[in-house]
Amino acid sequence: MQTIVDISDAKVSADPADTLVTYSLGSCIGVAVYDPAARVAGLLHCQLPTGTMDPAKAAGRPAMYADTGLAHLMKLMAARGASPRRLQVRLAGGAQMFDDGGVFSIGKRNHAAVRKALWQHGLMVAAEAVGGSSPRTMYVGVADGQVSLRTGTVTTTL
Amino acid sequence: MEPTTHNILVVDDSATTRAVVKRTIALSGAAVGDVFEAGDGNAALGVIRSRKVDLVLLDLHMPGMGGVELAGILHGDPATRDIPIVVISAEPSAGRIEALKAGGVRGYVRKPFRPEQVRDVIHHFLGGGQ
Repeated sequence: MQTIVDISDAKVSADPADTLVTYSLGSCIGVAVYDPAARVAGLLHCQLPTGTMDPAKAAGRPAMYADTGLAHLMKLMAARGASPRRLQVRLAGGAQMFDDGGVFSIGKRNHAAVRKALWQHGLMVAAEAVGGSSPRTMYVGVADGQVSLRTGTVTTTL
Repeated sequence: MEPTTHNILVVDDSATTRAVVKRTIALSGAAVGDVFEAGDGNAALGVIRSRKVDLVLLDLHMPGMGGVELAGILHGDPATRDIPIVVISAEPSAGRIEALKAGGVRGYVRKPFRPEQVRDVIHHFLGGGQ
């Protein structure tokens, strides 16, 4: 079974038969978290760096922004019994899409914002695949927390 | 029986950097006992000569005694030469880093660093982790 995480969305699952998947990670960042003891997985697909850009929108759609999105994901994980101390974190995305001049560098800004939010939550990163200019699809297996990335026709384990 | 813990000395003239490194150590999951701080080489020597230190995380560019001089002193003293020293610095010269390693420095993390880099250093030299 696949549970799709849309853009500006976050979902968690404790069903070992489930795989969380998010498509079209371009400059957006996918944050995969897994608690191996509680066997709970979560996936956030955030689009922009910080909810201070539009607090009203951040309140309504917290997963749109890196900072409010991570806080939202952490709440969802805690509600399923996950512990922040056990979380394995993997990141993907942050590509430089349609921005060859690097004028906006939204991918880099998103990555920096996610990193800052993780630091504020006391979380380190087990692995990440960020940057470049290709979109990625991110899969998180709930049974074992394995994170896979697909770029074009190539699938790799993160 | 108490688990073995190791003490770390963080030497950097920036209190902010010391705080970031200390938080990283706390999050590393390693069995760390005391984390000492020093703002320059002289203060670091005072700590090393009075306390048990198992790892030194060392900035290079500090007022007073800098990291290069401190590393030389520690490496030249049989009582301290076995304490691992890892430089955490924005030093841009690869040649200088190689010279430091030839002089006893065991590792180098370039600023700005990711917290995982410091965590990996701690696990490498002190073991532990989850």
